Amino acid sequence: MADRDYLGEFEHIVILALLRLADRAYGMTVRQEIESRTRREVSIGAVYATLDRLEVKGYVASRCGDPTPERGGRSKRFFRVTARGVEAVNRTQRAIQSMTAGLDLIGSYS
Amino acid sequence: MTPPAEFVCPPRLAAWLVNLFTPAEEAESIPGDLLEEFSQLASKSGVAIARSWYWRQAVKTVAHLAAAGFRLAPWCTTAAVLGGFFLMRFVSGLPEKAIFAVLERYQVFEHHFQLYVFFASSGIAIGHVVASIFVGCMVAWVAKGREMVATMTLALVLCALIIVALVWVATHGPVDVAWILWSFADPPALVVGGVVVRSRRSIAAASTPLKP
Repeated sequence: MADRDYLGEFEHIVILALLRLADRAYGMTVRQEIESRTRREVSIGAVYATLDRLEVKGYVASRCGDPTPERGGRSKRFFRVTARGVEAVNRTQRAIQSMTAGLDLIGSYS
Repeated sequence: MTPPAEFVCPPRLAAWLVNLFTPAEEAESIPGDLLEEFSQLASKSGVAIARSWYWRQAVKTVAHLAAAGFRLAPWCTTAAVLGGFFLMRFVSGLPEKAIFAVLERYQVFEHHFQLYVFFASSGIAIGHVVASIFVGCMVAWVAKGREMVATMTLALVLCALIIVALVWVATHGPVDVAWILWSFADPPALVVGGVVVRSRRSIAAASTPLKP
């Protein structure tokens, strides 16, 4: 069932951020990447809630890093996109491209 | 060479709220990410801006974590809330029975009438609040990792019932203001129970050495 699912808007954005950040992807960098590219303020809670949901679906996997002093001795949780996650992004991208093909979004609807 | 930046703490209350609502599996990552970004922002834009940013993040994060906590374990949370509701019904009658048993046992009515009046009115109300804290503790104990979501849900259910009862009482006769005030003390008392259990668990988890 999950293999036929499309990603939600924010899930899509979060997975794209993970792909952009590659091995530097953890909560703070994902949040900053989304904020700088979409220009909307995103809470760390929203990022983690989405990442947890994606992990349950098998689209992302996580591992713990080492504790660092600038984090008060707390460790980072790094995320990466799984093969199923990449498949889900491609499926969603294809659906969006197919739905927008032939539409003059700027000219006709602005 | 520039001197090392002075360590600045994020707002204590906001950090405490985030810790309360953060599930056990995110206890390191979410507060750590917030602290790291807060420190970066404080050294780049100033402490005041960083503190205001932290508060905004804390409020939004708590809302998201509360909603996500319920979505991730809806049955466990619902069972804890329902169990708490029935436990509340059972426990709420006990202070009254216990107080009157003690008052009659020692014949307080005959020797210390003012004391009798106090225990028979405020004593019962205080007993209700203590019972609510106990129920809050039990609900939080059962809903491990979702303590605040479970106790706050039960508190909201109780609030709704109190408001319905209040409207019914107001339309059927005079309203006792003291009764209203004491009734509204129960939901916060439930949340206090949740805070107590959650804080104890956080302290216990922090003092447990990490596995290699």
